[in-house]
Amino acid sequence: MKKVLVIDDNPTIVELIKYAVNLQGTYQVSVAYDGIQGLESIYNERPDCVIVDVKMPRLDGYQLVRCLRGDARTADIPLIILSALTRAEDQMTGMLSGVDEYLTKPFRPSALNQAIERVIRLTPAERQRRMDALLQNQAERE
Amino acid sequence: MLSWRISRQPVNSVSSIHPQQLHRLHILLVDSDAHMREKVRQALGAGFTLSYACSLEEAQRFLAEALPDIVICEMVLPDSSGLELCRLVRRSLLWQHLPIMLLTSLSTLQDKVAGFEAGADDYLVKPFDARHLVARLRLLSRIKHLEFDRG
Repeated sequence: MKKVLVIDDNPTIVELIKYAVNLQGTYQVSVAYDGIQGLESIYNERPDCVIVDVKMPRLDGYQLVRCLRGDARTADIPLIILSALTRAEDQMTGMLSGVDEYLTKPFRPSALNQAIERVIRLTPAERQRRMDALLQNQAERE
Repeated sequence: MLSWRISRQPVNSVSSIHPQQLHRLHILLVDSDAHMREKVRQALGAGFTLSYACSLEEAQRFLAEALPDIVICEMVLPDSSGLELCRLVRRSLLWQHLPIMLLTSLSTLQDKVAGFEAGADDYLVKPFDARHLVARLRLLSRIKHLEFDRG
């Protein structure tokens, strides 16, 4: 059974996400309540997918994503940000940090499960192509 | 020299972005290891201006004279640590928005958390892939612009 780790400091949101992911019935869900606890779980449990909030104590979601992408041992873990920050700049910061998908709250369970399916299927080469496309986009802006 | 002059590169790769298309970033590399400085120089190639400092003291002297676009810093420095440089930069009114990437072989969870808590924006573990380093620097530059725009 594939493992999904949820990192969010709001216990109510955590329960909602767990419920949504469990609807699928194909994932084992574990939980962490801040960024550092989340990193510890990632190192110990090696989840197949991580769903992370942005605004959290100790280590925020953007930092956690960069932390994972900056180390070859964790660079290809599928990552989804699920956040109440809905501005385009927030989403762009998430994507530039290296997240695979950025979803906003409130969320539909089906949208979250579809995102999990997509990011789990991403290959390192596809992830690299996405980063290249972001850089190309930046070059065009400049 | 970076490979973007090689025509065999796929069209959508970073390598196909001509350096003229991108803002030429000025990087201050703080690392006492001459071999590592040379590796970073080769990795960055023509699209960047690179300055060096071998210690915290040299880095401070450099920053008093010029403001780079990004600081890349090793955690282990002869006279101090990369963490101290991060804290010093974040405490300074003049430098507090300066993007800092820690580039180090220290790779435990505690090292990384300490790096971000000290004020680093990014953390890359050695050995690094040249193309990955270039991409992360470009992305970090854009992220900091977005943060600055948000105020």
